[in-house]
Amino acid sequence: MEKKLQQLKEQALKEIKNIKDSGALEDFKKQYLGRKGELTQLLKEVKNLAVEEKPKIGKLANEVKEELADIFSKAEATLKGVKNSTHDFDPSMPGQSRPIGSIHPLTTIKYEIEDIFAQMGFAVYDGPQLESDFYNFTTLNTPADHPARDTQDTFWLEGGLLLRSQTSNLQVRMLERHGVPFRGIFPGRVFRNESTDVSHDHTFYQLEGLMVDKDINIGNLISVMKSMLSAVFKREVDVRLRPGFFPFVEPGFEMDIKCLICGGKGCPVCKQSGWLELMPCGMVHPEVLKFGNIDPNEYSGFAFGLGLTRLVMMKYRIDDIRLLESGDLRFLKQF
Amino acid sequence: MYLSLNWVKNWLKLPKDLDSKTIGLDLTMATVEVEEVIDQAQSLLGVVVGRVEEITKHPDADRLQVCQVNLGDIKEQIVCGGTNLTKGMLVAVAKVGSKVKWHGEGELVELQKTKIRGVESSGMIVASSEIGLEKLFPADSEKEIMDLSDLKLKVGQPLAQALRLDDVIIDIDNKSINHRPDLWGQYGLARELAAIYKVKLDQYKVSDLKTKNELKLKVEVLDKENCFRYLGLAIKNIKVAQSPLELRKKLEAVGIRPINNIVDVTNYVMYELGQPMHAFDARQIDGAKIVVKKAKKGEVFVTLDGEKRKLPEDALMICDSKKYVALAGIMGGQNSEISDETVDIILESANFRAGNIRRTSMALGLRTESSARFEKSLDPVLAESAIKKAVEMILNLCPEAYVASDLVDINNNPFKKIYLEVPEELINRRFGVVIPTKEIKDILKRLQFEVAYKSKKFSITVPSFRATKDISIPEDIVEEVARVYGYDNIEAKLPTVNVREPIMNVAHRSERDIIYWLAWAQAYNQVYTYPFTDQRWVKNLGFDLSQHVKVKNSISPELSYLNVSLLPNLLSKAEDNLRWYEEFRIFELERVFDKNQKGSYQVDNLGKKFLPKQDKYLAGVEVSKKNSEELFLSLKGLLEAMMEHWQIDWELEKKDLPYASVSFAIKNQDIELGHFGLLDMNLFDSRDIKVNVAFWQINFASLVKYISHNRRYQALAKFPSIKRDMAIIVANSVSWGELESEVYKISPLIRSIELFDVYQGANIAHGKKSLAYHLEFRSDDRTLMTEDIDQLLKEILANLKKKFAADLR
Repeated sequence: MEKKLQQLKEQALKEIKNIKDSGALEDFKKQYLGRKGELTQLLKEVKNLAVEEKPKIGKLANEVKEELADIFSKAEATLKGVKNSTHDFDPSMPGQSRPIGSIHPLTTIKYEIEDIFAQMGFAVYDGPQLESDFYNFTTLNTPADHPARDTQDTFWLEGGLLLRSQTSNLQVRMLERHGVPFRGIFPGRVFRNESTDVSHDHTFYQLEGLMVDKDINIGNLISVMKSMLSAVFKREVDVRLRPGFFPFVEPGFEMDIKCLICGGKGCPVCKQSGWLELMPCGMVHPEVLKFGNIDPNEYSGFAFGLGLTRLVMMKYRIDDIRLLESGDLRFLKQF
Repeated sequence: MYLSLNWVKNWLKLPKDLDSKTIGLDLTMATVEVEEVIDQAQSLLGVVVGRVEEITKHPDADRLQVCQVNLGDIKEQIVCGGTNLTKGMLVAVAKVGSKVKWHGEGELVELQKTKIRGVESSGMIVASSEIGLEKLFPADSEKEIMDLSDLKLKVGQPLAQALRLDDVIIDIDNKSINHRPDLWGQYGLARELAAIYKVKLDQYKVSDLKTKNELKLKVEVLDKENCFRYLGLAIKNIKVAQSPLELRKKLEAVGIRPINNIVDVTNYVMYELGQPMHAFDARQIDGAKIVVKKAKKGEVFVTLDGEKRKLPEDALMICDSKKYVALAGIMGGQNSEISDETVDIILESANFRAGNIRRTSMALGLRTESSARFEKSLDPVLAESAIKKAVEMILNLCPEAYVASDLVDINNNPFKKIYLEVPEELINRRFGVVIPTKEIKDILKRLQFEVAYKSKKFSITVPSFRATKDISIPEDIVEEVARVYGYDNIEAKLPTVNVREPIMNVAHRSERDIIYWLAWAQAYNQVYTYPFTDQRWVKNLGFDLSQHVKVKNSISPELSYLNVSLLPNLLSKAEDNLRWYEEFRIFELERVFDKNQKGSYQVDNLGKKFLPKQDKYLAGVEVSKKNSEELFLSLKGLLEAMMEHWQIDWELEKKDLPYASVSFAIKNQDIELGHFGLLDMNLFDSRDIKVNVAFWQINFASLVKYISHNRRYQALAKFPSIKRDMAIIVANSVSWGELESEVYKISPLIRSIELFDVYQGANIAHGKKSLAYHLEFRSDDRTLMTEDIDQLLKEILANLKKKFAADLR
């Protein structure tokens, strides 16, 4: 009896390997597992066995039955699968195009940086682009005849108004409105009346940052900038400060970033210096705070002006700044 | 501005083993931005002094000669075309392997041993321009080679060594010293180097003047407002000549073209001290009198460059008793310039108000080395050292000369001594690191501040050369200490601040939402365009250019008017893109400028005047091959979805726009939020455009105010809804919109009506159309019965019959 069961099992296992269609599988089921099938017949004989053999053979018979049922269902699943894959089209054909638009790279980078600053508690503010001399220059400690005005070729409009030459125009506006402590960034476009080439445009984007609180120091400025840049470039970056003059900060700095290409060893990108000039920054000038109705004896702060356009060009290796505002879809659809 | 290391060695000894690159870096880190460090000897590598021993004619070329040249250890044969070649002449020879600039132009070329028309030639006898020495050794023609015979040089010696051209020049970015009037001369830069390297700086010394009161020079300053100091004196018996090599070398090193000894001296002093000077030919000065006063606007003056200049308002002039002789602080006049015949001169060393010089120089478009310095606010004290130094040098160069007048000094120096009290704590708090008291004191002393320390405060006297605008508040002292101490010593540390209230910026949030939605769900491409409006499309759209904000000083006519609408630029970009794409959608979110409306931003802090309105707009253009109906309805669907998302109530109102074939205003109550429509395709230049163009524009700034933040959940229906279709025939003139609202009025049980077919043609009478729509009925408190629906359908039909003469189809 035991032998018969084993033989039956082996025979079934052998047979099932050759089954290629559902008809044959159906026959297999009938032959082995069906009510009149061989296994059922064998099982019926169990009751005729000696009492002491019954449990052992019964157990074995059941095991065989389960095993056969199992290989049957597996074979059935395999066959079904094969059936499903018999289709009448070529799945390797290109996917049907679904229309999708694009987001301008300046927007993408702007949002990325906004989010980084938001995590450090900086709110995002916006303000006028058509600006007065007062907020673009005077409140920034740059009175008329100040040579620093030369470095910014301003578009002048009627009535002494102008197109802002820097996002710093919002420093005093925001201090006036929100007071201290203040933590904010102001991204936006700025304008310089100069001729254009692959690396200069009369319209470009900056992201100004301003933090005013009690006891803000230069070390804080370095640290916030380092944290932000490490998040932007997704790796630890090194920065350095060197003197730079901007009338609305004192002390004023140029912040350089250790060249990301050569790691500071010197390469053509950083002109062998190991450093790339990144952004002007500094400690907010007491005059600016006073214009914002803040007591400079009690509060101090830092400000910085990140060149968004430059960052976008660095990040995507864009070699012509004018593409950004060209509206050319061949360019824009890449983003 | 060039810094010459040889020049500053007059006053200090730099530490040994300090290479020039390090000096450049240290200056960058502590003081100014260094653009380049130039090692003179490096550029003259392989150029030596040679003597021409023999000259023979070139057998095959009339203009060439074959020279045997003694180079000390060897002799070389060199073919040369120099017109001034003579036997025994000392010349500069660029040996094989050295680099020269061919005919003084283009890139450097490495010399090879070669044959010139069949004759061997090893190296080159050079003209000064070929090795970059044209300023030091000016040549009359490019065929003229450098003649060194007068200089008694040793044959075979490297030229750099022989001429002692061993200077290192540091090129400083002028922008980085805009705020530092003291750094526009070598002595000021020497002071910085001394502070950085902690070395002693010699005091600036000038000899006392010996004057004869032979000529009564009178100086009258009528405009004391703008002329802070005027020093003048007369020197007689000078002899105008070329300056000696040493002087020319120094000037050349800092980029100044030597002219003659007198002019060279004034330039030398300007480069040494930063104080511009001027020398007049005394014979041309009427009445031995100098008057400083303002010009009348529009008067004409000829400057020494020969240009006739129309003087702007308030231009400050130097005059004699009859006429103008110089544009104060900017440029001398042609009528009194130093010529080869000049024997007597009047020297000027003055100080003018920075703003006045700057304004005049800007108005004339005339920027000079002199005006660049004056507009930085020079220290009036400098003027005296400068004139004394100039006299000393002129008397040295012209042994016959003597000072023939008193030194006249009209001094109206308005700058007061500046004393600052700086708490030690301020320096350390701003720096974030504690600097030892002694270190602070030392740094300030090295920078020539007078410092006293008492009860944790520094009492500081600012030196006059830093007191004209540069240093005025304690924070300036923080910078002086910090930069010399070294920004590298600062510890980067995130600020410790209080957690604050979150700030929710709805407009900003909504901007992001709509941008992502348009791009990713609606296949729109975001474009950025300039604020300057496309004038051709302004015209196409029928906008009035005079209603645009105008740029007064634009560098190009295209940049002259600011957008009042985003559409002109978007349409222009759409037109450009038609070259590459047949169908596309673009949008922009930006501010536009309305000069006729007052905005919400104040002009100043007085709160009375406001900037023109500059709201943000959201606008888009769709270019499509769809027919006009499809395109219009598709765009309408876009706007419906947008309004639905923000839950803004809106209605459409027909709005006639001259540039649209069909257009509607989007309104909330009486407020127009925007408009959209189809563009009149006749506006496109090209007639064979096979697309339709739709546009839309929304005032985003005002739309944001209507965005609802009160979205509430609606309970899911408890009872089933029943759907029925209905088709009716009405006159073509019946609008779906009216019909739809009429149906809704009949019963609240009618939950939706959705048009799915509009048909005209066979089986429908002319002038009529068939409308087929799905109706959905549902009640909130019971399951509707067939009888209810039948009753409602009857009512709907009856009503439509009454209102629109509709028939069931």
